[in-house]
Amino acid sequence: MGFLTPLFLLGLLAAAIPIAIHMIRRENPPKVMFGTLRFVKQTTKKLILFQQIQQWLLLLMRAALICLLVLAFARPLLFQGGMARLMDAEPRSVAILLDTSLSMRVGERFERAKTEALQVLDGLNAGDEAAVLTFADGTLTVRELSNDIDGLRAFINEMDEPGYDRVRFYPTLQQADDMLAASQHQRRQIVMISDFKASGLDSDALVSDGQSVDQDGWMLAAGTGFLPVDVGDERSSNLSLTDVRSPQQLLENQTDYAVLARVRSTGNVFLDRGNLSLNLRTQAGDDVVTNNAGSIPVQLNERSEAVINLPLNLDATGAFTGELVLSGDDVDLDNRWYFSLDVLPRMRVLVVNGDPSTDWFDDEAHWFVLALQGLENSPFDVTSVTADALTIPQIREHDAVVLLNASLQDNRLLAELKTFVNEGGALLLAPGNRVTASEFNDSFAGVTPATLISSEELATNDYQLIADVDRRHPALRALNVDFGARFQGYWQTAPGSDSDVLMRFDNGSPMLVEAQAGEGRSMLLSSSMDLAWSNFPLQGLYLPFVHEVLTYLIQPPQRERAYLVGDMIDLSSFMSADNTTIELLEPDGAQVQLTRDNPFYQARMPGFVRLEETTLAVNIAAEAASSRRADIDALTDAIINPETTPMVSEQVRTAQLIADIEQPQRLWWWIVLLVMLLLVVEAWVANRTYR
Amino acid sequence: MTQSTNFIDPSVLATLDNLEMRARVIVEGFIAGLHKSPKRGFSVEFTDYRHYIRGDDMRHVDWKLYGRSDKMYIKQYEDETNVRCYILLDSSASMAYASASMSKLDYGRTLASALAYFIMRQRDAVGLITFDDKIKDYIPAKARQVHLIRILRSLHELQAGGQTNSVRPLSELAMTLNQKSLVILISDMLEDEQVTIKTLVQLRAMGNEVIVFHVLDNQELYFNFNESTEFVDMETAETHITSPQAIRNAYLENLQRYLDDCKKKCQSSGVDYCLLDTSQPLDKALASYLSRRTRSS
Repeated sequence: MGFLTPLFLLGLLAAAIPIAIHMIRRENPPKVMFGTLRFVKQTTKKLILFQQIQQWLLLLMRAALICLLVLAFARPLLFQGGMARLMDAEPRSVAILLDTSLSMRVGERFERAKTEALQVLDGLNAGDEAAVLTFADGTLTVRELSNDIDGLRAFINEMDEPGYDRVRFYPTLQQADDMLAASQHQRRQIVMISDFKASGLDSDALVSDGQSVDQDGWMLAAGTGFLPVDVGDERSSNLSLTDVRSPQQLLENQTDYAVLARVRSTGNVFLDRGNLSLNLRTQAGDDVVTNNAGSIPVQLNERSEAVINLPLNLDATGAFTGELVLSGDDVDLDNRWYFSLDVLPRMRVLVVNGDPSTDWFDDEAHWFVLALQGLENSPFDVTSVTADALTIPQIREHDAVVLLNASLQDNRLLAELKTFVNEGGALLLAPGNRVTASEFNDSFAGVTPATLISSEELATNDYQLIADVDRRHPALRALNVDFGARFQGYWQTAPGSDSDVLMRFDNGSPMLVEAQAGEGRSMLLSSSMDLAWSNFPLQGLYLPFVHEVLTYLIQPPQRERAYLVGDMIDLSSFMSADNTTIELLEPDGAQVQLTRDNPFYQARMPGFVRLEETTLAVNIAAEAASSRRADIDALTDAIINPETTPMVSEQVRTAQLIADIEQPQRLWWWIVLLVMLLLVVEAWVANRTYR
Repeated sequence: MTQSTNFIDPSVLATLDNLEMRARVIVEGFIAGLHKSPKRGFSVEFTDYRHYIRGDDMRHVDWKLYGRSDKMYIKQYEDETNVRCYILLDSSASMAYASASMSKLDYGRTLASALAYFIMRQRDAVGLITFDDKIKDYIPAKARQVHLIRILRSLHELQAGGQTNSVRPLSELAMTLNQKSLVILISDMLEDEQVTIKTLVQLRAMGNEVIVFHVLDNQELYFNFNESTEFVDMETAETHITSPQAIRNAYLENLQRYLDDCKKKCQSSGVDYCLLDTSQPLDKALASYLSRRTRSS
């Protein structure tokens, strides 16, 4: 300790002034000859004693006031800043990383983690600073470095239970490391409290089987310590649904669909059996009795996992929700799998044959109908009529009308067809050599995606190939087959302004054109679907092409309804043009309203998220539910920096310099404050004390 | 206390060095007239007979009546001196205390002279006993005018000193009294007040009228000191340093308890008690005296 202006200390002699006054006044009170001294002497001794104490207290305060004022003017300096340094206890900065991922919900892990965190705080000394970061897939909440240990303790005590996210260690480790780099103390430590699941490491992870892979060379800053606190080492027997495959759409009365569930014993106590049950419900919540009703035993025996096949055969159409429940273990988190599915009716297709023939080989509709009905469980119900036999009721009774090399002369039929399309029906046009351009264009104006210009029939050795396919289109993206069909005849077409060209020949001429017509869709294939102009019907592409195109035209685009916790779901496709908001019901019953401006919803827990017309299934990511453990020692070795001299940033150095200069000088502030306080007390006591 | 315009402030009286002058000034306008004495003496004017009682002076037996009735009667006459009054003035050291111009002794001296003058004007006999721890002067009760001069001289020459002992003069007075008298004690009664009052009660029980003028200084009554003070007892020289403001309430409580005790004991036994503040005029004392005399007659 030193003083900036030590000469002021001479003023300490002034402390003798009140003492001198006190002594002088004490020894020379005026003498009064008095008759009734007996009544003076009868006053209580307690009163006299109290008065004497007050006198001495006043004397001490007055002397102390002078001493303190002198000290304040002398500007005392406390070198090396702070009591902690005086006590040779170097302060430290600690970042506590608290795992709040899904696996921390198991048993008492999270409570143990909080207890460990509080113990770390209890172990801090005066002057130490600490930060608390909670993390799962990333850093969730941050309490910055602070000396307010009680505040951090309250923050930990008030922490909510963990969520359903997977865990990742490195992002939060890096954030904590950056935070500590800016800390004012050079003793730095990261305390990570977790159950250390292997899924917390990235793909090239450090796992419990001892594989040690450098995490892109990243490690903690030099001098930063790492203390892992494992709270996931309790014994547990666990069966996990590690993988479930369930269809989103299936046809009524179709028997080849099934739900596949992969069951694995993942606890540190092996379980060789359990039970699996499948609960199906309608959109309205009514139970559906299936052939898989009840509990199905799962036998692992000596194997590490078992795959359970649960066939689905529903004779009703509509939307359903399914819940797969695994039982027989200690941990319930990874025992449920949610899915939603639609059971669709068969698609009704009306094929209008413009060039029928008794010879099946030459029949315009033969190959097309064969492609639709050739499968055992075809999703299509096909009606084939000639153009002359077509009637209005037939159009109304079907989902799609396919005109194969056909032109319609009857205006009533044409009007009905256009009404059919505009009201949501599907139309596929495949003009051939029986069609004239002008007649076609006049007849199908408004519903055809392109007008015909002229037909091209190439020489024997010449042909066109499919050269440009829009593989992102829903009707075409599944066609992962050879596009080697040869076209010797085709129509030159002019697509409408609102039409999309999905396929082209290698000369650039449109081959497949799509357009929206009212509520319905129409497509134009600029060649015939028989063998007259191409060998397309004989190609492997033909059957899936026909199926995909018709399915696309008839059925609305299939929306994704299976998500994982943490996914950001765009619900704009569920909003109609009239509605600007959409409401959803979360698995725990909470209501969420989304607007068109912000249609994104982040799934936060497993279960069913119910919208007005559909239900989304949200499940826990397999890696989040995985119970594989990371190798803590390997992780520690990988991230600890062998360089032990802590780096101090320029900012921190500057801040320390300023603090070292300014902090010790501020002692006089406190002294002056104490003087003012003493003055108030002195005035109070003096007013109660008699001279 | 009500300030009477008929009486002069003690501070003004103190400027009058002549005690007779003081007494005249005080008594002027206060005389309520003569009164009929209930006492029977052996003077000139016959009033009545009474039966002889053993011990009566044989000179006063009416022998003529004895001759006629064969019974002895004593002649009774109206006494020329109606009341024998004894003024006992305390002159102990504590009576010298004076916070203003007039000390308690001065005040008592003035009161005694005024009473003597007043009594003499009523043709009563008045005597004086001054004392501290012993009797300093004893002047027997007489009604002659020249006797007043003697009393006033004695009062004038009186000096304060010594400790208080009221019992001794009172006891001696009681032994000498052969007729019911009026006994006036002027004292601050700061020592042995219990015994003093007890003696006064005995005097009262003997059939005497007793008045106590309890004289205290204004400072003694109200203790209006401010700064720390070393108090010295005037009789014992004992000292005590204290802050008067701190103990003022406790002092006043103690004093009031003492005064209440004195008053209660006096009044319960028929002793007239009158507390006098030396800063106040003497009318209260004279009024008290007259009140007693009125009741007596």
